[in-house]
Amino acid sequence: MGEYSLGEFQELVLLIVAALDKEAYGVAILKNLENETSKKFNISAVHVALKRMEEKGFVESHYGGITKERGGRRKKFYLITALGKKILDEQYDLRTRIYQRIPKISLG
Amino acid sequence: MLPQPPKYSLRFLRWFCREDYLEEIEGDMVELFEEEYLDAPIRAKWKFRWTVIRYFRPRFIKSFHRRKKINPSVMFKNDIKVAWRSIRKQPFFTLLNVFGLAIGIAGSILIALFLQDEFSFDRMFQDAERIYRTDIDYRVSGEESYYATAPGPMAAAIKDDYPHIEQITRMLEVGQALIRPADAIVNIKEQHVIGADSSFFDLFGVELLAGDPRLALNKPYTMVMTKTAAEKHFGWRQAIGKSMVINDQDNYVVTGVVEDFPANSLFRDQGVFLSIESFEDARSIAWNNWSYPTFIKLKPHADPEELRAYLGTIKDKFLIPWAMTFVPGLTLESSKADEAATGNFMIFGATALTDIHLHSDRRGEMSSNSDISNVYILSFIGFFLLILAAVNFMNLSTAHSLKRAKEVGIRKTLGSDRKGLIRQFLTEAGVITALALIMGVLLAITALPYFNELAEKEISFPFSHLVFWALLLGAALLLGLLAGAYPAFFMSRFLPVKVLKGGGEARVGGARVRNSLVVFQFSISVFLIVCTLVVFQQLQFIRHTDLGFEKDQVLVVDDAQMAGSQLPSFKEQVEQLGQVHSVSLSSYLPTPSNRSVSTFFPEGAITQSDRALNYGIWRVDHDYISTLDLQIIEGRAFDQQFPTDSSAIILNESALVMLGMNAKEAIGTRVTSDFHRDDKENMEYYTIIGVVKNFHYETLRSDINALSLVLGGQPNRLVAKLQAGNFKTTINEIRDLWNEVAPSQPFQHYFMDDSFNDTYQAELRLGNIFLTFTILSLFIACLGLFGLAAFNAQNRVKEVGIRKVLGASVEQLTYKLSIDFLKLVVLSIFIALPLGWWAMHQWLQDFAFRTEISWWILLAAAASAILISLLTVSFQGLKAAIVNPIESLRSE
Repeated sequence: MGEYSLGEFQELVLLIVAALDKEAYGVAILKNLENETSKKFNISAVHVALKRMEEKGFVESHYGGITKERGGRRKKFYLITALGKKILDEQYDLRTRIYQRIPKISLG
Repeated sequence: MLPQPPKYSLRFLRWFCREDYLEEIEGDMVELFEEEYLDAPIRAKWKFRWTVIRYFRPRFIKSFHRRKKINPSVMFKNDIKVAWRSIRKQPFFTLLNVFGLAIGIAGSILIALFLQDEFSFDRMFQDAERIYRTDIDYRVSGEESYYATAPGPMAAAIKDDYPHIEQITRMLEVGQALIRPADAIVNIKEQHVIGADSSFFDLFGVELLAGDPRLALNKPYTMVMTKTAAEKHFGWRQAIGKSMVINDQDNYVVTGVVEDFPANSLFRDQGVFLSIESFEDARSIAWNNWSYPTFIKLKPHADPEELRAYLGTIKDKFLIPWAMTFVPGLTLESSKADEAATGNFMIFGATALTDIHLHSDRRGEMSSNSDISNVYILSFIGFFLLILAAVNFMNLSTAHSLKRAKEVGIRKTLGSDRKGLIRQFLTEAGVITALALIMGVLLAITALPYFNELAEKEISFPFSHLVFWALLLGAALLLGLLAGAYPAFFMSRFLPVKVLKGGGEARVGGARVRNSLVVFQFSISVFLIVCTLVVFQQLQFIRHTDLGFEKDQVLVVDDAQMAGSQLPSFKEQVEQLGQVHSVSLSSYLPTPSNRSVSTFFPEGAITQSDRALNYGIWRVDHDYISTLDLQIIEGRAFDQQFPTDSSAIILNESALVMLGMNAKEAIGTRVTSDFHRDDKENMEYYTIIGVVKNFHYETLRSDINALSLVLGGQPNRLVAKLQAGNFKTTINEIRDLWNEVAPSQPFQHYFMDDSFNDTYQAELRLGNIFLTFTILSLFIACLGLFGLAAFNAQNRVKEVGIRKVLGASVEQLTYKLSIDFLKLVVLSIFIALPLGWWAMHQWLQDFAFRTEISWWILLAAAASAILISLLTVSFQGLKAAIVNPIESLRSE
C-alpha cells in the first residue's frame, strides 16, 4: 500500500462515503456508520476523518443548496475520488490476498 | 418553533471554529441536535455542548494569527483607498477641513518655535545652571525698587568669604559710546558698551576668536570687541593691538575679539567690553553705588538656596560696617530697629541666569527681558488654535455623517465590524491630518519671516532637527486621532437597519455636541476679540494721555558733546533758526532708561533713615523746562537772572510727597546728598525753588517716581522744540550747523515721539500678536461655521423648495436657515464677554495708568462676532434660498 495509509475508522468512513454515492454528508455518514457497526460515534470523529482524507485527496467535497432544513445552513457533500477508490481497492485486495492464504482447516 | 441549541456553546463554536468548516459543522450538529431533542431534550443539549468541546482542537480552530498578520496591510491599503475616494468625492469639505487644520497647525508651529526660543535664553553658556546674578530688593521712604545690580565692592568682598563661589564677575553699564581707531577721525557709535572684569569670559565659558579670554581684560584700558563691532572699523583679524579712542577721550588697546553673542543671550546687544579697571569708580569701596551687574558661578553641586541665605547676611557683614564709618551712631542694632520701625528693607538675593529672560524685571537689566505671562498667553493661544481646528474637523465630519450613513449601513451588512469601521474613519482623519500637516508646515515656513518681524525674533525653521520633526509628526498624529475619534465612534454606531430602511433621511444625531463645539469655538474667538480691542485701547490711551510734557515736534540730537567747546555756540545758532521755538542742552529725556537715583536728606534730618529722600536726579539747563513744556505748579523755573540757581533744585510732585510737605512749605527748604563728607559744616545744600507737575518719564506701567532737576552736568543731547512747518528744512539747517561745529561726527537726530513710541514696543507687539492670532482663530471658526451652514443648507434643500413653492420669500428663507447658528453665536458672546472682561482687567492691573474697559469694547466684540458669523452663514442660506424649487424638487 506504499505511501498511503488509512486507519480503520477512516476506512469505514471512506467505505460509507463510497456506498452512499452522492448523498454522503456528515449526519448521513454518521447514521450509516452507527447502523452498520451498531456503535455510537461522535459527529466530530466523522468530521476529523473526513477532513483528514480530504487533505490526502481520498474524498472531495462540495456544498449543497440552501434549504429550510438546518436553519438554512448548507450541507457539505463528500464524494470519493479515483485515488480514494484505488486505496479502497488496494486495501480490499490486500485483505483478500492474505485472507486466502489462511489454511482451510476447521477450527470448530 | 424549532428547539434552539445551547446559546453559549454555539457562540463559542462560532468564535473558535475555522470559517470554512463552520457552516458544515454547525449544520450537522444542529441537524443531529434537532433530531435528538425530540427524544431527550436535556441530553441533546448536553451532547451538543460536549460535541462543541470535542471540536476544540487544532484542526478546527481558526488561525487567529493569520488574520492579524495578513489583514492589516491589505486592510490598510483598502482603508487608504477608500479614504482617498471619499476625500475626492467631497473636495469642498475636505478643503475646509484641511485648510482649517493647516492654519491651526501653522499657527501652533510658529508659537511653539517662539516658546522654544524664549525658553532657550542663556542656556548656551557653559554651566549656565550654576550661574546666578545678585539682586537687591530695596524699600525706602515707602518706595520699593528692585535692582538687578550690586554694589561695586561686593564681588571682591564675597569672593573669598563664601567658599562655594567658583568665579565671580561684575560689569558696569557704560551705555552708548563713540568709538574710532586712534588713527581715524570719524567716530562710529556703539550702542551697548560695558565695563567687565577680567573673569568675565572665563565665567561664562566664552572663547575668544583672538586673544586670551583670561588675560584679555586684566589691565586698565584694554578692550574686547565683538566681531561685528570690530568689522565696523577693520577686519577682525587685524583688531588685536589696535589702539581705539572712546568718546574722543580715552585710549584703549584691543586685546581680544569675541564672536557676536547669540540673539537669545543676555549679552546679545553688547558690542564692546572695556576692562572695568579703567574706571576709577570700579575701585571705590563705596557700597552705595549699585551700578554693577554681578554674576556668580557656584562650584558644582553647591546649593543655590544656601547662596541666597548667604547673600542675605552680607548687608550686616559688609555694608553696615562700611556705613558706620560715616554715619554717626549707626550700629547693627540701630539699623535693625530702624527697619522694623519704618518697614524699609534692603535684601540681597540671587536670580538664576536661565531665569533672567522670563522672570526678571528689575532696574538695570542688561537687556530688555521678556515676561513669563506673555509666554503663558501665547501658549494659551497656540493651544486653542489647535483645538479650534480640531473642533472644526469634528464638526464637519459628524455633520457630514448623514451622507455616509448609508455607506456605514452597507459596510456593516457586508460584514464590516465596528472595529473595522472605526479604523476606516480614523484612517480618513489621518489622511486629512497628513495633508493638513504638509500644508501647515509650508504655511509656517512662508509665514516665519513675517512672524519674526511681528515678534521681533530671529527664529529660523529647524529643518535639520529630527526631534522637531518627530514631535511635529507625533503631535499631528495625536491631533488626527483626537479629532477623528469622535466622528469615528459616532459613525460606526449607526445601525444598518435604521439607515438602510429608507423612507426619508434619518435624522443624524450629535447635533447637541456639534452645537456645543460651535459655542466653544466662538467663545474663544470672542474672548480673543475682547483681548485685542483692550490691548489696542490701552495703547491708544498711552498715546493720548497727557504726559505732562511736550513730545510732538521735539527734535533730539544725540552726542551733542562731540561739538566740544563749540556746544554753547551751536545751541545759540540753532536757537536763531526761524522754525525753532526753544533749545535745551541736557542728558535726560523723559523716556525710560537707566538712571541714577541719589539719596537726599532734608536739612535738619541728616542720616535719619526715615527721612531719606530717594530722588532721581536730572542735570539740565535753564531752557529745559520751557523746551519740554513742563508745568510749574509752585515757585519758579531756573532763571539766568538768579546766579544762586546753581544750587537750586526743582522737585516733581512725587518727590514732594516723599518730602512730606505741601508745595508752599517746600519752597525754600534745603536738601543735601552731600552727607558722606567728614566736615559736616561744609556740606552742600540745594534749595527747593519750584515744583513741576508730575510728568510720565517712565512707562505708564509704573508710577511716577520722585524726581529732581538741578542745573549743570555734561549735556550729551540737544533738544529743540520746533514750530509746525517744514521740519525737513529745519533739520537740514541744523545738520549744516552741526557739520560746521563737529565735522566728521555723525549727526544723530530723531523726534522724541518716535523714541517715546519705542517705549511701548512691548505693548504694540503684544497687540499685534493678539490681532494676528485673533484673526486666525476667527477665520478657523468661520471656516467651520461656513461648512456647517453649507451642509445644513444642502440637507434642507427640499424643505426650502417646498417652502418656496408655498410662498416663502428669499429673505424669510435666509433668516430661517441662519437663525439657528446665530443663536449659538449669541450664546458664545454671553459666555466669552465676562471672561474676556475679567482677563483683561487683570492684564490692565500691570499698568499704573490704565484705561477703563468701556462698554463699547464689549459691544464691538459682540457686534463683530455676530456680523462675521452672519455674513458666513447667510451666504449659504441665501444660496440655498435662491435656488429654483424646480431644481430641488424635481427628483424624488
